[in-house]
Amino acid sequence: MRFLLLWALIPMDPASVEAGKQIYMGSCSGCHGATGEGSQGPSLLSGRAGRLPDKTLLNSIQNGLPGTSMPDFPMGAQKVAQVAAFVRSLTAPAADTVVAGDAGRGKALFFGAGKCVACHMIRGEGGHPGPDLSNIAAERTVPQLRESVMKPGARIADGFRGVTAVLASGATVKGVAKNYNNYSVQILDGSGKMHLLETREVKRLEWTDGSLMPAVTGAEDAQNLVAFLATLSTRGGSK
Amino acid sequence: MKWLLLVVLACAAQGQVTQEAIAKSPNENWLTYHGDYAAQRHSPLKQITAANAKSLVAKWVFHVEGAKKLEASPIVYEGLMYVSNTNEIYALDARNGRKVWYYRASGAKGTRVNRGAAIFGDKVYFVTADCHLIALNRSTGNLIFDVEYASMDAGYTTSIAPLAIKTGILVGVAGGGSGQRGFVAAMHPETGKEVWRFWTVPGKGEPGSDTWGGFPAEMGGAPTWTTGSYDPELNLVYWPTGNPWPDFYGGRRPGDNLYSDCVVALDGTTGKMKWYFQFTPHDVWDWDANENPVLLDASFRGKQRKLLVQANRNGFYYILDRVTGEFLHAKPFVKKLDWTNGLDDRGRPKVIPEKIPTPAGTRVCPSVRGASNWMSPAYNPATGLFYVVTLEQCDLIVASAKEPVPASGFRGTGNEGIPTEPGKFYLRALDVLNGDMKWEYPMPGPGVMWAGTVSTAGGVVFSGDDDGNLVAVDAKTGKDLWHFATGHSLFASPVTYMVGGKQYVTIATESDIFTFGLFDRE
Repeated sequence: MRFLLLWALIPMDPASVEAGKQIYMGSCSGCHGATGEGSQGPSLLSGRAGRLPDKTLLNSIQNGLPGTSMPDFPMGAQKVAQVAAFVRSLTAPAADTVVAGDAGRGKALFFGAGKCVACHMIRGEGGHPGPDLSNIAAERTVPQLRESVMKPGARIADGFRGVTAVLASGATVKGVAKNYNNYSVQILDGSGKMHLLETREVKRLEWTDGSLMPAVTGAEDAQNLVAFLATLSTRGGSK
Repeated sequence: MKWLLLVVLACAAQGQVTQEAIAKSPNENWLTYHGDYAAQRHSPLKQITAANAKSLVAKWVFHVEGAKKLEASPIVYEGLMYVSNTNEIYALDARNGRKVWYYRASGAKGTRVNRGAAIFGDKVYFVTADCHLIALNRSTGNLIFDVEYASMDAGYTTSIAPLAIKTGILVGVAGGGSGQRGFVAAMHPETGKEVWRFWTVPGKGEPGSDTWGGFPAEMGGAPTWTTGSYDPELNLVYWPTGNPWPDFYGGRRPGDNLYSDCVVALDGTTGKMKWYFQFTPHDVWDWDANENPVLLDASFRGKQRKLLVQANRNGFYYILDRVTGEFLHAKPFVKKLDWTNGLDDRGRPKVIPEKIPTPAGTRVCPSVRGASNWMSPAYNPATGLFYVVTLEQCDLIVASAKEPVPASGFRGTGNEGIPTEPGKFYLRALDVLNGDMKWEYPMPGPGVMWAGTVSTAGGVVFSGDDDGNLVAVDAKTGKDLWHFATGHSLFASPVTYMVGGKQYVTIATESDIFTFGLFDRE
């Protein structure tokens, strides 16, 4: 039985994930937090947790981690696998996740009234200087997408902080800083042109507070957009 | 429709790299793997000279996180440098090494090294280890397309730096050691759709198929894992091909095994073969002909000719007419060469039967790694010299008649070094028109390098050496001018470029990009 447990696949179907969530809420959330954010126990949202091999994850739940405060949960192979499925879902890329919402409406919003396409690109269609979204569903989880859509200022992705450089010549360059230190700054402007500047060429830099992106406020619009973004991957997902 | 307008505007805002621009490279830019379509790797830049090379200093180092073996020659255009590693590519500010954008092909399978990118139009292109061609906007790194051109499930992998010409982005595959059928394909620059494909092993009934004794073409090898050269005036692509499979046992594939170990001249528009020349017919020593085919025009024996030269892995330096494929001349460029009694007047080797590998093992020179390999040579028209990193070594090669199974790791068995005869590397300068050695620069070390060269109009040849140094030597004499210990082994060839009026030299080490320039008080 133990052998079977260790080599079983983690079932990622919605029913198993939901069943796992119910067990998790009763047995795990006290230490790991209701959304896996961690409290007494470590966060399950970190890259490290996401990279745990299946075998290690299943074994940790079934047998605990000796020498730590993680106890064993000898609840049988099926339930252990369901909990593991829920834990996996916390870090699963959106491409591998079944998402509520209407992706078709989300797409219409993206390319239409939402004007997302003015600053973002998908496979060469769209504008600058926002992040390319061609493969975003493989790179972000659903909660991360939701946060980006509804609270874009919560965290600014590396290389997308808004900046205006006033050059020694008096001209200005406005866009996002792809990189910056005491010696140089590299700015992508709204037309897609990259400006490679050394500090001596720049009189001053004026940084933008928060995100250049407006928040999507309507819950339904946001859900539809997330559903659409969750379809965007170069190599397809497992859902 | 509004977004469509925005797309048009965005595209219009960016400069286009044309075939004509690549044909003028290298200049301040370095626009293709070899620097130029002719694969001469000779830059007209002359700020760094034989007189001032001793003042070279490190300008910046960029660490490629997780990299174990960088093998790429960077591309440089308008101050941006593109450097690829396995399944990923970086754009760097070429003046200071700062990362500008990064693209990782998440989900790509395979871990094969990557030898570089191509640039064309407003895009940069690179391949993943699992044979996807990826096009990115060169300014932003935004994905334009990701297309599979060969299936890893069928055993294909790749490490190639693509070659961009007007017709398409040319790509190739590995497979000489694992039994896949080689090909060169041209992929449309805008869509990634295949424009043409040339199979390097003919299908049943096609010309050349009778040189395999019925061995299945699908398993024939003749891979295309290095970047070819191109003559835009003749519109001919010159692509070198690798060994037939299994590498070391030829009993099941009697015949010359066309078009393995060849250079094939392909029409750039259609991919149709105009001519071929085979360096090592019926190869049983793993002597891929994947060394760079270098193109030059010169007066040869009193007649102005368009030439193609190659320092082949089998130990001979060859001169061919690149219009017709006619064999003109060959000469050994290593001393350790014992497998043939020279070549006949058509360039065909007179193989010594005792040098065919046996199950007991056969000592053969050059070694399996070859007298040279994919490390880039360079040619300086001003000196008339061809600079090539050379390995003097012999191997014990063991053959096996075991039933071959593709993608199983079986290569007809293999080679081992001879412990009492370690390999020695040299940078050699050959007279380009006859192969006579004019000077050599010994490169003592552990015998592990795969670094190549770049030549400059400043009269300097840069090369990696076998001890992890980037070295500068005098192009005329081979005199040591400068060196820098990178602390790594070297598996890449250097490039040179200019930004803001300053000349730089760059080489990728195992995990970092090192860039050098003249000392500058500013």
